Amino acid sequence: MTTATLRTKIATPRRSIEAGSRGQWLRFAILVALAAFALIPIAGTVGLSLRANNGTGSLTLENFANVLSSSGTVAWLVNSLQVALATVVVSVAVAAPAGYVLSRGRGRLVGGYSLLLFVVQALPVITSVIPLFILFSHIGLADNLVGITILYVASSMSVATWMMASYMDGIPGSLEEAAWIDGASVFKGFLHIVLRNSLPGVLSTAIFTFLMAWNDYLVASIFLRSAGTFTLPIGVQTFFQQHSTDWGSVMAVAVIMLLPPTIIFATLNKFFSVGGVAGSLAGQ
Amino acid sequence: MSTSVRRTELPLTVRTPTHEPLNRRRRSTPGRAPATKLFLILPSVVILILTNAYPIAYAAFQALHNGSLISPGEFVGVDNFAKVLADPAFWRAAGFTAVFAVAGVFGSWIIGIAIALLLRTRIPAKGLLKTILLLPWVVPIVVSAMSWNWLIGTSSSPVPTIFHALGFGDAIFLSDPLGAQITVCLFEIWVNFPFMMLMMSAALSSVDESIYEAAKIDGAGAWQQFRYMTLPIIAKPTYISWVLMAIFCVNDFPTVYLLTHGGPVGATNTLVVLAYKTVFQNFQTGPGVAIAFLMTLALAIVAVLLFRQIRKSTSQ
Repeated sequence: MTTATLRTKIATPRRSIEAGSRGQWLRFAILVALAAFALIPIAGTVGLSLRANNGTGSLTLENFANVLSSSGTVAWLVNSLQVALATVVVSVAVAAPAGYVLSRGRGRLVGGYSLLLFVVQALPVITSVIPLFILFSHIGLADNLVGITILYVASSMSVATWMMASYMDGIPGSLEEAAWIDGASVFKGFLHIVLRNSLPGVLSTAIFTFLMAWNDYLVASIFLRSAGTFTLPIGVQTFFQQHSTDWGSVMAVAVIMLLPPTIIFATLNKFFSVGGVAGSLAGQ
Repeated sequence: MSTSVRRTELPLTVRTPTHEPLNRRRRSTPGRAPATKLFLILPSVVILILTNAYPIAYAAFQALHNGSLISPGEFVGVDNFAKVLADPAFWRAAGFTAVFAVAGVFGSWIIGIAIALLLRTRIPAKGLLKTILLLPWVVPIVVSAMSWNWLIGTSSSPVPTIFHALGFGDAIFLSDPLGAQITVCLFEIWVNFPFMMLMMSAALSSVDESIYEAAKIDGAGAWQQFRYMTLPIIAKPTYISWVLMAIFCVNDFPTVYLLTHGGPVGATNTLVVLAYKTVFQNFQTGPGVAIAFLMTLALAIVAVLLFRQIRKSTSQ
């Protein structure tokens, strides 16, 4: 090989670095434009919620004071929190043991169950929601917070189980085998060895189920019929039934709604796996 | 396939039915304590059956009867399906659902993968940009729909006002059928691109940078590197993200309903919205459930086709 060819090979990357700095600003500009596209509607929401109604445009918390004192917002907030937290607790309690069996089990039955979970996940909610509404009306669970919690647990179960199973896949089986040799039962091995080592997986599952229950509109709009049982996404729709919408109040409720997910993401981001992200969208 | 691609470290563990755990050192005895395992999985099985098997069976019953929300009605055979299939509104909704899903899947994928690629390069304020770009996905859909409604809902909303001031005339977004269709698709892309960005970032993190060096020396441009090196490597997560997004878009109710209620004059009715309206506004349970069944069938066919593609892309 001659020195001439060697020199061109060395020169090539240097040239690309020089071109890179102009390219870098172009790439930065594209990202900033996309970030603006993402941010503008949300910034508008926050801005409106903080703007005074007297037309001066000054910043104020009066919209929040109004919605929290005069309307059912507090009751809807409490309903939303109750339903979301109950969904989290029950989902984790059901999905963690099922995930353990899926993770450790082999064979046709376990594989079949995993496939069944996928099929169920892909089914349109609208198909099962109509018969369930009729059934729940008969047994007093329609227009009821317990009823809607059951539905949220059911609709988050596939993804929650996969998330737990995926996490437990990473825990070596030798840990619980050692416990079995020491005389622990399979159940104790699951509880004391596997589950105790799965806390990040549990947290990730909890975040997913919380968001699913907190954000849901479709199921709640069908099942919750009276103002006393409304969750926030349903309650806020009543603001739109007047002739002119009071955007300050609407957006104040909107900000109350977007705060928990945003705070959770800002603080617990690293626990939230992409696998869970994938499932949660597919599941809505 | 190049060994420098660390396939096994792909963090994208969407647990598909064919998923095999990466950790093969585990030798759990399958027959150990079957009663305990049954006990552990039983609550999940019971919930699954109660909230799925019964409703699906009852929905099949409803699809063949002319009942309502309060009475089971009489057996009418496939009349509901015939009625639905003869209704032009159904075909309009089916057509728009296809457009909506294709726009949703590919629109969000193109933006998502572009961002994922850009975020791999040296960029100032990367962390902040990443957080902002995730926002549309984090914010509840009800809130996003309200924001968009405020931004573009009427002719005096901010965006139409700006359009008018810039000399584009009276831009109509939601009161014109085509305008509403475009707006709803754009909204779907806005809601979903952060998901694609996350999926594609995860997929790209498994691609080793060093594979590009040889290509650069050989004079391959950025597009060629992307088309012939990056894209084949991330084919599997890409197909998975398409399947998930297609399922999501077809089943998506609030994005359309909260923005347009399916209007104007039914232009933005997707099949889900049409099924919902047929049951809960027109109180025709049978036809409504029939629409949902037909939609599920179409979705299943698309999902199976895409899953085949996934199998093919992994067996290569």
